[in-house]
Amino acid sequence: MELSLLLDPGILAQVLAQGLVRGSMYALMAAGLSLIFGIMGVKNFSHGELFMIGAYVMFFVTGVMGLPWPMGVAAAAVVLFGFGVLIERTLIATLRKRAGRDWLLDAFVLTIGMLVVMQNLALILFGTERRGVGGLVDGTFVYGPIIITYERMMIVAVAVAVGLALWSFIRYSDLGKAIRATSQDPGAAQTLGIDIQRIYTYTFGIGAALAGLSGGLLISLFPAHPTVGFYPVIKSIACVILGGLGNISGAIIAAMLLGVVEAYSSFFMSGGWQNVMTAVLVIVILIVRPSGLFSSSKVERA
Amino acid sequence: MSLEVSDVVAGYTREVPILNGLDLTAEDGRVTVIIGPNGAGKSTLLKTIYGYLKPERGTIKHDGQSIVGYSPKDMLRKGIAYLIQGHSIFPRMTVEENLELGGWIMGSDSERREALERIYERYPRLKEKRRLSAGILSGGEQRILEIARLTMTGPRTLLLDEPSVGLMPKLVNEVYEEISRLKDEKYTILIVDQNVKKSISIADYVYALALGENRHEGTKEEFAERLDEIVKEWI
Amino acid sequence: MTNETVMTAGSGVWHSHGARILKIVVLLALLVFAPTLIDNDYLTRIFISAVMMGLMAAIFDLMIGYAGLINFGYAGFLAIGAYTSALGSFHYSISPWLGLLTGGLMTAFIGFLAGVITLRLRGLYIALMTFFVGEAIRFTISNTPDFTRGMLGLSVPPYPDILGIDFSRGDLLNYYYLVLVLGAIIMGSLWWLVKSRFGLAFEALREDQLASQSMGLNTTKYKLYNFTIASFFAGVMGAYYAHYISILSPTPEEFGVYRTVEILTITYVGGRGTLWGSIFAAFLLIGFQEYFRGLGPWRLVIFGALLIFVMLFARKGLAGLKKYFW
Repeated sequence: MELSLLLDPGILAQVLAQGLVRGSMYALMAAGLSLIFGIMGVKNFSHGELFMIGAYVMFFVTGVMGLPWPMGVAAAAVVLFGFGVLIERTLIATLRKRAGRDWLLDAFVLTIGMLVVMQNLALILFGTERRGVGGLVDGTFVYGPIIITYERMMIVAVAVAVGLALWSFIRYSDLGKAIRATSQDPGAAQTLGIDIQRIYTYTFGIGAALAGLSGGLLISLFPAHPTVGFYPVIKSIACVILGGLGNISGAIIAAMLLGVVEAYSSFFMSGGWQNVMTAVLVIVILIVRPSGLFSSSKVERA
Repeated sequence: MSLEVSDVVAGYTREVPILNGLDLTAEDGRVTVIIGPNGAGKSTLLKTIYGYLKPERGTIKHDGQSIVGYSPKDMLRKGIAYLIQGHSIFPRMTVEENLELGGWIMGSDSERREALERIYERYPRLKEKRRLSAGILSGGEQRILEIARLTMTGPRTLLLDEPSVGLMPKLVNEVYEEISRLKDEKYTILIVDQNVKKSISIADYVYALALGENRHEGTKEEFAERLDEIVKEWI
Repeated sequence: MTNETVMTAGSGVWHSHGARILKIVVLLALLVFAPTLIDNDYLTRIFISAVMMGLMAAIFDLMIGYAGLINFGYAGFLAIGAYTSALGSFHYSISPWLGLLTGGLMTAFIGFLAGVITLRLRGLYIALMTFFVGEAIRFTISNTPDFTRGMLGLSVPPYPDILGIDFSRGDLLNYYYLVLVLGAIIMGSLWWLVKSRFGLAFEALREDQLASQSMGLNTTKYKLYNFTIASFFAGVMGAYYAHYISILSPTPEEFGVYRTVEILTITYVGGRGTLWGSIFAAFLLIGFQEYFRGLGPWRLVIFGALLIFVMLFARKGLAGLKKYFW
């Protein structure tokens, strides 16, 4: 029965549209993780907790204070930028100075510690209750067989806008160029007078801001609660690996692909098996192409 | 803009200094070459001059003024630029972006634009390839790009660490031609290179280091005679 | 510096060979007799948890501390051991005693496979790969409720009596002595392993893969040895865990990332590359956790903060204190 349904063009289109929505969500979640990984080499396992804090900021600004949702999303991004800068300066920079050569594995473990602290502080401060903000945008878009709420279309639109903004920032701004230079050769960047410590701080701040922004924007689907970051961080890591570690555009394309594949596979399997499939997909990619689906070392990595 | 290093003691750890009371002067507008066996502290000296290592003792003066404790940014502002050992281009950025980053510390875009035009005039080949990824340039072109990038901010003193390492002989010549062009333009140049013959050929003054001290020094002519004997000492 | 000189100057006796033997005897006596003498189920449970987690952390240390391999799907490997033994007795009436072995072997096999597919990877990539391997294991368990009962929870029988020793769950002390015996075997094997030429090879692996390769060391082979051996012991501990804890479910807390993080924290706090540090850290952290039960989530905040502190300021962990006590 499922197979015959899949041959129906109307259903195909609807599933594709759902997949793209899902992919946009993943792309938003993964962008910050990919940026931090690509530039600093740090795998930030507390990325999901930054997402979680973003969701809480959104809840307080929009749900409690009643301000319009774009302000909530903006506030989430700004707060997380500041928080990211703080974390980088106090913790990650300290580790980089102390741990020496193989500090990246240690940085990963450090972010695990951060995850535990943030998650449980959230539990203490806010309890386990789920705090959502219902329906940021009302209405539903209908086009033939495709039915999508405006809210989800808005998510896609914001994802595209954020992706473009990030891309042009990295590509064309002075800071973006310095960020790329630092990721390609920190030693050389330093001799040119680039303060690489500051570049790392900004990078972490921007990555955190992206996590916060997605946490805020996706609040109607992922209501704020202390462990809300678990799912986003796993999906983000999957996208980052599939796209090629540190390859931001690769991660975004991988997010879209993963979204579509998952939407289709939800026809065949229960939600639980999808998680297995995602994990197996990642494992297979790590075996056959550890550098990711789209990576060749010559490709521009930003 | 002479560079004077006197009685400098420095190293990676306090217990094991690499430089043991080193004295050296790079005269204004001259090429000064430092030679020595592996581990003599040649690269360490350049790193110390550029502020990457803090000297335990001694003074480093540029144009009569102490530059100890300067950041790379301060160094560039004072007109000192440093080519580190090994590849230092940004391979996945364009030639032009590489050059722009050479002018990172410059305050205004117009200033940087001017510097870029100046570089393109001087290196037409880089202008032709300005939109290409630096990583696909040939080894020699990459070195030229590095040197060109070094001059974006209009420095007068250049510290070059192994400018010809890893290059084929033909390209070594190209790089040294470029360095002698800079010499003709009266840059103050301090070179460390494994390629002793080549570097001495353009030198005005030569220092031979061993174990972090200067063992021999003299003009190129004085050195040419004693070179074999000095190199033998290293082995 | 000054502390050290003071300690060594004023405490020759404290650091002497004889004193060390005495210290070992006292510690072992505490380990063996304290639960019997106090005979309190609550305390016995804490001792069992501490020894069990300490062993799991020491095995984890064989990978991260000695060979620089981070198995971030570790809890999934424990799950393989636990479920192999539990399902063996549940479906096929295989004795749980044999389950210790089958659990170990099955996990060693999975560990071997995981080792094979991570061979080309290094550092963080190994962490990522093993993380997804662990998640795949956990989700597979939760998605096959017909066989594993998934999230419904699998009830696991206790160990049958052996040699006239009662292993009904009423008699916790015997579970404690069982884990002590397992611990003696495992710690002994690990100790022997890291002191042998394997240990040397593991260390070379950790320090620099390229350099070790150029010295003619077959890094691939030793990576596989390390992963497989560690997985075997992890499986044994998983199997023990299953029959002790009596009900299994593949939640993130029990067999997912949270359990891995818990064990990793013990290893890091104990001090990487020390084996024994893990045991001490387990007693310290589990004891702390129990003592401050009233603190609720604050305990975990402190746990996380402790991990951060160790990473930043006390990079040797508890082992950094060794010079004062040993």
